[in-house]
Amino acid sequence: MLVPLSYNLRSLFVRRVSTLLTVVGIGATVAVVAGVISLQQGFKTMFAASGREDVAIFLRPGATNEGDSMFTRERALTLTKKVPEIAVDDEEAPLAAMECYLAVRLNRLGGGETNVPIRGVQPATFAIHGEDLRIVEGRHFEPGTDEVIVGQRLPGRMQSCRLGDAIQINITPFRVVGVFASNGPFDTEIWGDLDRMLESLERIGPNRVMARLRPATDLAALAERMKEDKEVPSQVQSERDYLTSQTTYLSATLLFLGGFLGLVMGTAAVFTATNTMLAAVTARTHEIGILLSTGFRPLPIFFSFLFESLVLGLLGGAVGCLFTLPLNGVQTGTTNFNTFTEVAFAFRVTPPVLLGAVLFSLVLGLLGGAWPAWRAARLEPTAALRRQ
Amino acid sequence: MLRLVLRNLLKHPLRSLLTVGSLVVALFLLCLLRSLVTALNAGVEAANAQRLIVQSAVSLFVDLPTSYQTKIEAVDGVASVAKWQWFGGYYQDPGNFFAQFAVDGAELFDMYPELEIVEGSQEGFLARRTSCVIGEGLVRDFGWKVGETIPIIGALFPGPGGEAWQFDVAAVYRPTRPNLDPRTLFFHWDYFAQTEREITGEEPKVGVFVTRLAPGADATAVMATVDSLFANGPQRVQTTTEAEFNRQFVSMVGNLPRFIGAIGGGVLLAILLACVNTMLMAGREQTHDVGILKALGFTNASVLRLLLVQSFVLCGVGGGLGILLAISSAAGIAATMGQYFPGYEVRTATILLAAAVTIGIGFLAGIFPAWQAGRRSPVEDLRATI
Repeated sequence: MLVPLSYNLRSLFVRRVSTLLTVVGIGATVAVVAGVISLQQGFKTMFAASGREDVAIFLRPGATNEGDSMFTRERALTLTKKVPEIAVDDEEAPLAAMECYLAVRLNRLGGGETNVPIRGVQPATFAIHGEDLRIVEGRHFEPGTDEVIVGQRLPGRMQSCRLGDAIQINITPFRVVGVFASNGPFDTEIWGDLDRMLESLERIGPNRVMARLRPATDLAALAERMKEDKEVPSQVQSERDYLTSQTTYLSATLLFLGGFLGLVMGTAAVFTATNTMLAAVTARTHEIGILLSTGFRPLPIFFSFLFESLVLGLLGGAVGCLFTLPLNGVQTGTTNFNTFTEVAFAFRVTPPVLLGAVLFSLVLGLLGGAWPAWRAARLEPTAALRRQ
Repeated sequence: MLRLVLRNLLKHPLRSLLTVGSLVVALFLLCLLRSLVTALNAGVEAANAQRLIVQSAVSLFVDLPTSYQTKIEAVDGVASVAKWQWFGGYYQDPGNFFAQFAVDGAELFDMYPELEIVEGSQEGFLARRTSCVIGEGLVRDFGWKVGETIPIIGALFPGPGGEAWQFDVAAVYRPTRPNLDPRTLFFHWDYFAQTEREITGEEPKVGVFVTRLAPGADATAVMATVDSLFANGPQRVQTTTEAEFNRQFVSMVGNLPRFIGAIGGGVLLAILLACVNTMLMAGREQTHDVGILKALGFTNASVLRLLLVQSFVLCGVGGGLGILLAISSAAGIAATMGQYFPGYEVRTATILLAAAVTIGIGFLAGIFPAWQAGRRSPVEDLRATI
């Protein structure tokens, strides 16, 4: 026969100060861990979710990101023309674009310097991105001029990034004429005309080539072929794979931080839960004696106290989720160590994060309740009854 | 009274132990997080005011022509100028990351008096073109010795025939200040430049020029003059003090320190609640005892003192152990995370902060049950059955 669950719920209510303190303690632990994980989620999804599967990125063989990659202009041009898998537009021109890329110094609005990516693009770049990229303020830059457009996260974070401002690149000032939105990492980039950028940066060629692929292209086969290409060997991957590969270091750091804090703070939370449950058991020794002498077996008593501890954990998990939820959507920024450039992203408190937080809190409750519940189950009925 | 305190605490050894345990964890974590933040700033604080850094004004990734060196040397107030180039190589596996720089070897030790040679000699380094100086952190991690030849694969600069570069270890340094990383390899610019010319046929470019000021020179004036020299290109430069140069790397991290602070707050809240909880429990269980004490003539004040001291002892032991753990683990943490946090150490200020937090928790955790006990009459206390 099981001990009625209401017995435990009432007991939690009777000792409400103690219950509340334990619950908030577990909640703070869960909230810290869930906060770090939702930061990692926000960072990772921003990159992965904005990358397209039908867009291919061509890099120099061996390059791990576009900053390392480099093609001469002629070779890049050859690349855009010779690959039959590249889709074409209405005028039979290939949907392929050369891009140059450099992280430039900019000052934050609040002071301090950071590196912001600047990208030289071609008209085809916009054709490739299509609806994924739109102007939200001002207008497009005029090709061939010293005009740039900036990602929507920049004007609120960096100096000289508002409409009408001038961004000095080496000795050339570029005027900001528009703000664009992309839902992805491009939101913290500055875009301008490829040829003007190459000239002002004294570069001989673009960093990468990107292209829209024809439907049903076998990307793996294309990558295999281009690796061995005699004329222009290159490393090909989908835009989604490329962007995902740019998240490894920061993602791993945040996951490590989350795991480490979970372990350390979790230990402390288990100690607290054990303390609370031990006190609960001690205070109810007499009642346990009554339960035992009226025919309840030790095992149901064990489960009864374990259940109480799980409820404690679950309440803590709920409080933790409540602490974490307001973080959802909050923007923050740091340096992405793969590219050494500033990225802005939002906390993403997703259902899996919340589910993980609840599971974590249940584990804390389980670990914290096991020993006290076992002790309760092992009490001698006569000795327990004698305790006042 | 102290005996009573100890008796009370030892009456529930497991509970006291668990409370001490969570305090150890909390204070350890607090010291760790705080030390990580101070480590970030160590490079800025320990920077040498006599050194200026000339770098591209456009980007960290843009190099400067070698011809700039003589022009900077000619500026009034400049004592010497050295070329530095980030080599970006690795030993055997890309995971074995550490910094390597091609530098003007003759200037290195004059410019950086904080490089203390602990093995080998400066003369040995200068005598051979292929020589290098390594930090003692590398000796510890890879077991390299003076006289050994080490192969470094150049990820940015592929070596001759696509093979690894070979460097002869001539000396081992130990940094005497936390602005220098103990895991760096310095080798001769001349060796680098000549090899590059042979491979690519082009003169390699320079990452930054480290400039030493003449005694009494006006740093602000020198910075302005150097910047104006190249204002019209081909590459504009930005001259900064070493502190400012280091600060830009700290600044890149953005609001991470604030973020770590928020985590620290969460940790403290959780632990404070845990301790208040324990002390409340202890207070509740001692209700009967408190009644006896009061009946015997002990005043509310002395009961309050008893419960407070109890809380202080418990928190003091836990917090003290946590701080000790943080101090004793500092060397190990510095060794494993040295490449990300070169200046990791638990400072006196951090210890004082942690001690203050410990006392604060002890006070808050003790005052609640003490206040509760003070409100009740001895008769009520004695009647309490728990």
